[in-house]
Amino acid sequence: MAWFMGIDIGSGNSKGVLTKDGKLLAYHLLPSGVNYRGTAERLIEELLAKAGLSPEDITYTIATGYGRGSVPLSNEQVDDIRCCARGINSVFPSVRTVIDIQGMSSQVIRLNEKGQVTNFVISEKCAAGSGRFLDVMANVLRIDLKDIGSLSLKSKNPVTFTTGCAVFGESEAISRVSEGASKEDILAGVHQALANKVSTLVDRVGLEKDCAVSGGGALNLGLIKSVEEKLDIQLLMPPHPQFVTALGAAIIAEERQKGKAE
Amino acid sequence: MTKVVILDTDGEIRARIVGSTGAEHRRLANKVMEEALEQANLSFDEISYVIATGYGRINVPFADRQITELTCHARGVASLFPNVKTALDIGGQDAKGLKIRDGELVDFVMNDKCAAGTGRFLEVLADALGLRLDELGSISAKSKNKVQMSSTCTVFAQMEVVFRLSEGVAVEDIVAGVHDAIAGRTVGMIRRLKIEPDVVFTGGVAKNTGVVKAVRENLGCEVLVPEDPLLSGAIGAAILGKELTLKALAKGEPIQRKERRLEEATFFK
Repeated sequence: MAWFMGIDIGSGNSKGVLTKDGKLLAYHLLPSGVNYRGTAERLIEELLAKAGLSPEDITYTIATGYGRGSVPLSNEQVDDIRCCARGINSVFPSVRTVIDIQGMSSQVIRLNEKGQVTNFVISEKCAAGSGRFLDVMANVLRIDLKDIGSLSLKSKNPVTFTTGCAVFGESEAISRVSEGASKEDILAGVHQALANKVSTLVDRVGLEKDCAVSGGGALNLGLIKSVEEKLDIQLLMPPHPQFVTALGAAIIAEERQKGKAE
Repeated sequence: MTKVVILDTDGEIRARIVGSTGAEHRRLANKVMEEALEQANLSFDEISYVIATGYGRINVPFADRQITELTCHARGVASLFPNVKTALDIGGQDAKGLKIRDGELVDFVMNDKCAAGTGRFLEVLADALGLRLDELGSISAKSKNKVQMSSTCTVFAQMEVVFRLSEGVAVEDIVAGVHDAIAGRTVGMIRRLKIEPDVVFTGGVAKNTGVVKAVRENLGCEVLVPEDPLLSGAIGAAILGKELTLKALAKGEPIQRKERRLEEATFFK
């Protein structure tokens, strides 16, 4: 039996998946913390336990993400852009553009029908376009990160932020709170600011349909709605958006093995 | 910070106050004004003309006129350093570069969209390091091997600094790296003006000797800093007020005043 593993060590969360014949069989997520190596070890152990497998059962492992150098026992490291493209292609073969919103950066990737990257742009210089902006805001408003999407959908009158800067945005949010703006209106404004940033990234590589989202940011329905409105497009949502890159890593691992066999 | 300068007709400064007025600064500008009047031993009615400038200039109910901070700033800097051609001002929430010819503003660049390159960057990083803003300069002076910061963004730089600390890098080397980062960013911005000496550096961040040194190194030329770097905008406003008043008096025209109320702004009411 041939099993394959993809491990994606992100700045916020670490994700692991197991595949067989291109099918997702098990997945697992842990916060990355500060010790990537320790996290990767525990992630692999718990992922294998979920599937009832031992390390010897795994034919090939690919590590990806920000902390991909810290994964023990990986056979190869592949950058997360390629893995994300391959992963989304395995879920939605029709997708030609994927918007990947992560904890520390956002990226827009163009891909062909084989899941190969044809162009991409990353926003990593600035927290404005990343999930980090949402962390900061959730903290200011004292609400759980996972609640901000649904809360923002209740907004009737979104606050307009004058800059996309997360630091200035934080002060602006505090001022708006003191002026009596509601949490949902502030959050809706934050999502619009983020959507604007994402939209400038999309403009730089061009938008070709179908367009999908991935990464932890895709779990935020308020953000997705803002991006859809800004781009005037319907976005495809994979079943496990946070695991798309890890899935892509596992699928590339399978292809490596096939390549060897042929 | 709210700054008040009172000038007499001879151009002597009669009062200079930098007041930390806290979060509700708009309400409390009048308190700083009262303090300045006390220092000058004057009553409010004795003040011929009041000009408000800066970010909150609209919220000063006792001003006769509002003038933008760029104009006031250029005038104030030129009064302190008559040979100034380029001025750099880094405040708490923005950074500006001014090109000045014969005391007049001819061009400017500005960043108020991104916290990196403003005083806010230093505030956030000082906080991450557990240091006070006023000790950053002397701490960085001890650095022998400054850290090269890879992040531009304040949020990412904060994480980077914490990571550097966990690696055991000396605090002074991190602080020196932070100063270099803010200097590099603002000098990069003002290069668009074609920098010519004399270069004057003002604003709250100019009180930090470490940043002044880093700006000097980044520019590769001498940088002049006034004794009280926070006051140049208010000094410029006072000079403009004096000129308007003297001009009106010389022509025998009435001074164009507004109905002034020395009380808190009603912005929030």
